[in-house]
Amino acid sequence: MSFQNDSLDPTEEDHPLESVTLRPLGDSAFTIDLAGDMGEEATRRVAQATTLLRTAAESGHIPGLVEVVRALRSVTVHYDPLATRRAVIEASVTEVLAKGAEDVDGVERQWLLPACYDPALAPDLEEAARTLDLSPDEVVARHVGRVFRVHMIGFLPGFPFMGDLPEGLRLPRRAEPRTRVPAGSIAIADRMTAIYPWESPGGWTLIGSCPVPLFSAAWERPALLTAADRVRFEPVSASEVKALAGDYAAGRRDPHDLVEARS
Amino acid sequence: MTFKVINPGLLTTIQDLGRPGYFHLGIPISGAMDRFALRAANLLVGNDEGAAGLEAVFMGPLLEFEVDAMVAVTGAILPPRVDGEEQPLWTAFPIKAGQSLTFDYLKGGARAYIAISGGIATKPHLGSRSTYPIGSLGGFDGRPLATGDMVPLGEGKTVKAGRTVAEALRRGPGSPAELRVLPGLYWHLITERAGKAFFDDEWKVAPEADRMGVRFRGGQPIEFAPREQPFGAGSDPSNIVDGCYSYGSIQVPGGSEPIVLHRDAVSGGGYFTLGAVVSADMDLIGQLQPHTPTRFVRVTLEEALTARRDRAALLARIREDLS
Repeated sequence: MSFQNDSLDPTEEDHPLESVTLRPLGDSAFTIDLAGDMGEEATRRVAQATTLLRTAAESGHIPGLVEVVRALRSVTVHYDPLATRRAVIEASVTEVLAKGAEDVDGVERQWLLPACYDPALAPDLEEAARTLDLSPDEVVARHVGRVFRVHMIGFLPGFPFMGDLPEGLRLPRRAEPRTRVPAGSIAIADRMTAIYPWESPGGWTLIGSCPVPLFSAAWERPALLTAADRVRFEPVSASEVKALAGDYAAGRRDPHDLVEARS
Repeated sequence: MTFKVINPGLLTTIQDLGRPGYFHLGIPISGAMDRFALRAANLLVGNDEGAAGLEAVFMGPLLEFEVDAMVAVTGAILPPRVDGEEQPLWTAFPIKAGQSLTFDYLKGGARAYIAISGGIATKPHLGSRSTYPIGSLGGFDGRPLATGDMVPLGEGKTVKAGRTVAEALRRGPGSPAELRVLPGLYWHLITERAGKAFFDDEWKVAPEADRMGVRFRGGQPIEFAPREQPFGAGSDPSNIVDGCYSYGSIQVPGGSEPIVLHRDAVSGGGYFTLGAVVSADMDLIGQLQPHTPTRFVRVTLEEALTARRDRAALLARIREDLS
C-alpha cells in the first residue's frame, strides 16, 4: 500500500482488497482506488469495501473515522485529523480491507420508475437521437429496455449514477454545462444515466422526466435509491406524469411502493 | 421568544456547525462557512458553540426583536446598530423587546455571523438547523430568511454585556489572501510546469462564489499531462471516472478556473481533483470578497495539521477568556 501522488491511474486489472491504492484528498480525507474502471465488478468491490469499513467503524475499530463515501470505482474516507493520525487510520483501513474477503449479500431491490420522454420534457432528445444516428423513439426504446444498476448516490442529495447504457446511447457530457437543469430530468452521459432530484446546474444530456421524488428528509432513509439497487423505466404520457407528480407532492402515492422485485 | 425579519438583506441563512455523516447520500455538511466566527459569536452570548445563528452575506438583515436578548456579531466587518446606535463587533451587546437590529455597509470580509442568546430554535433536519436550500433542509422552512419570517429563539443563559474577544484573537482575511493547499488525488494528471504555475500565479476570487464553491480566475490555464482517457470518463482531459469530492477540494473544469468546494459541496462528480485547501483555511474562504487577490501556497500534511492545531488552540484561548 502506498500513497501515489505522481503515478498514472492505478492498476487496470482487478486486484484483491489487500493491495489497494490510497491517495490523499486534503488533510482530513483520502480516497481508496478499488478498480481501474467503473462497471459491475467495480461496484461489487466498492460495496464490499464500504460495508467492511462501515461495520468496522461502528464497532470502534477505526477511531477518528467520520464517514465512508462511495463512488464508481473508489471509496473516500473522511476522518478527524485531530482524533487520529493519517498513518494510523491508513493502517487500520488497510487491515480491515485485507481481512474481510466475504461478499456483501444485501437485499437488492428493483424499481420500476415512470418516465416521460415527451419532447416537451426532453429538451435534448432530438439532438441526441441525431448525433447517435437513431430516431427519438429508438433512443427511448433502448433506454426503456434496460435494467440499470445504481452504482453510486452523490453529486446532489439522492442523485443516482446508474449504468450501463447500451453502446448505442453513449454521448459525452455537454461542452457547456447548463446552469439550470429542471428537477426530475432523466439524463445520460457516457455510460451512465441519472435522474436529477433537484433543479441544479448540470452537464448531462436530458432525454426525459421522472415525477418520483428521490429524496425527503422525512423518510427514515432520506435517499429513495441505494447503491446496488436496480432500476427500470416505464414510459408514461405527459399528462400522466403531471398527475403522478401531483399525487406524490400531495402524499397520495408513496414512492417506496415502486419496488417491483426484491432478491 | 422570536425576532421578526423586516428585511432579510442579500442572503441571510440560519447556520450551525452542520450535519456531518450524510455525504454518502449526496448531502453536504453545510453549516457556517466561517465556523470560527460562528463559534466565537456563540461563546460571547453564552450559547453552546454549535448553536444556530445567522450568516449574512455582504449585507446585514433588519430584524425586530420581540424578546430581550444578547447579541454578538463576528466575522465580516459589518457594524451592527440597535435602534440606530452603533455597537461593537466581536462583543456581546443587549437588545430589548421592540428594538431593531440593523447593519451598516460592509467594511471588510464577506460573511457576518450573528449569534443571539438562546440560539435559533427552528426545527432541525438530520441533526442540524443549517440551511441547505437545494435539499430544502434546515433553515426557515428549508430556505434562507425572507421578509415577515418570525424566527423562534431558545432559552438563553444570562451573560454580561461587553464580553469581548481580544483584538489579537480575532481573525479576518488579509490581502492578498493565502490559501494553503495539499496537492493530491489527481495531481499527476497535470504537467510539472502547470503545477508550478498554479502556485506561482496570482488568482482573483471570481464573482461566482457561493456556499457550494468559490471560483478563482486570472492564473494560467492548466496544462494536462498526455494520457489516454479511461473509458467512462468524458473526452475533456479534466474529466475522470466519477469520484468523490471533499470539502476544500479543488477542481478545474476544462482546465481554466479552479473551484474550491465549500460547506455545501457536491459530493462527487466527473472533474479531476488537483488537491485540497487545508481545513484550517476553510473559514478564511468564507470571508473572501470577489476580486480579492489570492495565492495558493503548497504545504505538507504536517504543516496542514499544525495549522489545524493552531486554529484549535486559538479557539481554546477564546473559550478560556470567556468562561
